[in-house]
Amino acid sequence: MRTGAQALVDSLVKAGTEVLFGYPGGAVLDIFNCLPESPMKFILGRHEQGCAHMADGYARATGRPGVCLVTSGPGATNVVTGLATANIDGVPMVVITGQVGLSLIGTDAFQEADTSGITRAITKHNFLVHSADEIPEIVAQAFYIATHGKPGPVVIDIPKNCQQALTAAEYPERVSLRAYHPEHAPNPNDLAKFARLVNEAKRPVIYAGGGVITSGAAADLAALARKAEIPVATTLMGLGSFDEHDNLSLRMAGMHGTAAANWAIHKADCIIALGVRFSDRVTGNIKLYAPEAKIIHVDCDPSSINKNVKVELGICADIKDVLTTVGSRIKRNTHPEWLAEIAKWKKSRPMSYKPMHEGVIMPQAVIEAVDKATHGEALVVTDVGQHQMWAAQYFRHNTPRNFLSSGGMGTMGFGIPAAIGAGLAQPGKKVVCFVGDGGAQMTFEEVVCAVEHKVPATFIIINNNCLGMVRQWQQLFYKQRYAGSILSVRGRLEMEHLEQDLDYDYLPDFMLLAKAHGAEAYRVIDPAKLDDTIAKAIDSGKTSVVEVIVEPRANVYPMIPGGKPVTEMIFE
Amino acid sequence: MKQEIYRFNCFVENRPGVLARIVGLISGRGYNIQALNVGPTEDGTVSKMKIDVLCSDESVVEQIKHQLLNQVNVIEVTSRKR
Ligand SMILES: Cc1ncc(C[n+]2csc(CCOP(=O)(O)OP(=O)(O)O)c2C)c(N)n1
Ligand SMILES: [Mg+2]
Repeated sequence: MRTGAQALVDSLVKAGTEVLFGYPGGAVLDIFNCLPESPMKFILGRHEQGCAHMADGYARATGRPGVCLVTSGPGATNVVTGLATANIDGVPMVVITGQVGLSLIGTDAFQEADTSGITRAITKHNFLVHSADEIPEIVAQAFYIATHGKPGPVVIDIPKNCQQALTAAEYPERVSLRAYHPEHAPNPNDLAKFARLVNEAKRPVIYAGGGVITSGAAADLAALARKAEIPVATTLMGLGSFDEHDNLSLRMAGMHGTAAANWAIHKADCIIALGVRFSDRVTGNIKLYAPEAKIIHVDCDPSSINKNVKVELGICADIKDVLTTVGSRIKRNTHPEWLAEIAKWKKSRPMSYKPMHEGVIMPQAVIEAVDKATHGEALVVTDVGQHQMWAAQYFRHNTPRNFLSSGGMGTMGFGIPAAIGAGLAQPGKKVVCFVGDGGAQMTFEEVVCAVEHKVPATFIIINNNCLGMVRQWQQLFYKQRYAGSILSVRGRLEMEHLEQDLDYDYLPDFMLLAKAHGAEAYRVIDPAKLDDTIAKAIDSGKTSVVEVIVEPRANVYPMIPGGKPVTEMIFE
Repeated sequence: MKQEIYRFNCFVENRPGVLARIVGLISGRGYNIQALNVGPTEDGTVSKMKIDVLCSDESVVEQIKHQLLNQVNVIEVTSRKR
């Protein structure tokens, strides 16, 4: 016999957990009490949101579930953003929350929150444990659910009395879920039609999303693209699924995608959509999306097919399975005219930017400097905002799981902790996190975890002195009324001024902040020092923070304004 | 837009929280539940839910069905126009 808490910790280890992220509290003390003897490496975050994003980053970098342990009430509510972020991007996670004792549930007990109720809509599944005997089985099921079908986060809410009760229950040999059978084999007729549509296409485009990376199908995708000479566009989540140095790469499609990717999709007669959701950030005006194309959509989630766009052929199956089986039926082919047309778009509208003021660093140059310093081999993690789009646009992505970003939720505060999780998962990798001056203030506290655990991540703060993405929208669509988007006192609207205004322009002082957290601190203002400073920080092998003061007025282009078709793309 | 009532017959595992999950899933996506009935089946571990939902077209019906089937505790779903 062992306690429910011990059964939980043993089960997590059985399920393959090597690193556990978490934060203690009254309702999980029994579980924490079992950690000193456990082989799992425990990482103490500094805020439960940070713990959740670390587990998420760990999962995105490896494909293995990120595991996180927090207390009841405020501990559980603090992981909510992390769950929603992982859920929409299909990231496998198992999150254990403490709960008040069963007899206290519903009494508004101290630190009681209805965690199952709160997390139901933002998890793939959740469990409320009713007895210590259930714990090993539920842990096994949670890991199964998190990693099968479209991956996602699973919450296990464990009342304190169940952690303390004794149980003889063992970890099951295999998981059997009566109602959940998410694996579908592709139907042979559909595969035949897939091959026919591809073989007949004159202007085909492969459109690859995060599902390709989840399925481990990047090599199969490249084989298909090369064999039939099909250009490849990706979503934000699909970056890294195809090497952007390849001539067939169109790079990223969507609101801030390349002209070539968006025009190719617009003019295509056949789109092979693999592991994508057709998000509104990518399709723009859905009625005018890919008007000439027959769309083939392969995805492991049946509900994503025909959800946002109507398709010619929907295949609900694992992408790798589909591509390996269909491979031999795809004709070796060339599309010289189509590629020539695409080459023209690439040439006339490359990703490019011009300096705006003499002696001021352009933010895009920071991304290029990292690409150069790491020879394209960095594991890039981003926060959310303009810098995220520049990181997507100006780094030449080439390897799956080397670009981690909150796509669906767009969660500011994701970057710093996710980078730490990724760094712990991939110790040999050069982890570089791009974060805005806004987002850096949301989860900076986690930098100490990187320092403590000697994660040699480089956090690059692209400091444009504003919530740049918001400022850009206000500039373009709200008549330059910069309400609530300027971080410096001087640039703020009259109505935002305080009675006794400070005269500092840039607050906080990120150098002091970085040093206070024990990290190496660098600040770059001079364009001539950019490359060297970045290379020095990355090569230092230490946790470092590089604040780059950049042009505050730079915007992300090209841009297709929300709800508009490709034809309304703006370039400056 | 013209909407019609569709009946979804759902067989689900009889466990705490399943009803809330199903109802939350449908209402959380902006669909309006017209009628709801939950009852036992001969197999005590399975419940049957009859859910009437206003849908604008067949693709919405398919979408709801897939969403329901994606749930870990949902065993089977059928639908028909009422
Ligand atoms: C948690 C959260 N709150 C608000 C937003 C809305 N939002 C999107 S981008 C952005 C600005 C981000 O500013 P910063 O971190 O400085 O990055 P920049 O755009 O300047 O590169 C905001 C407020 C968000 N995505 N996430
Ligand atoms: Mg900013």
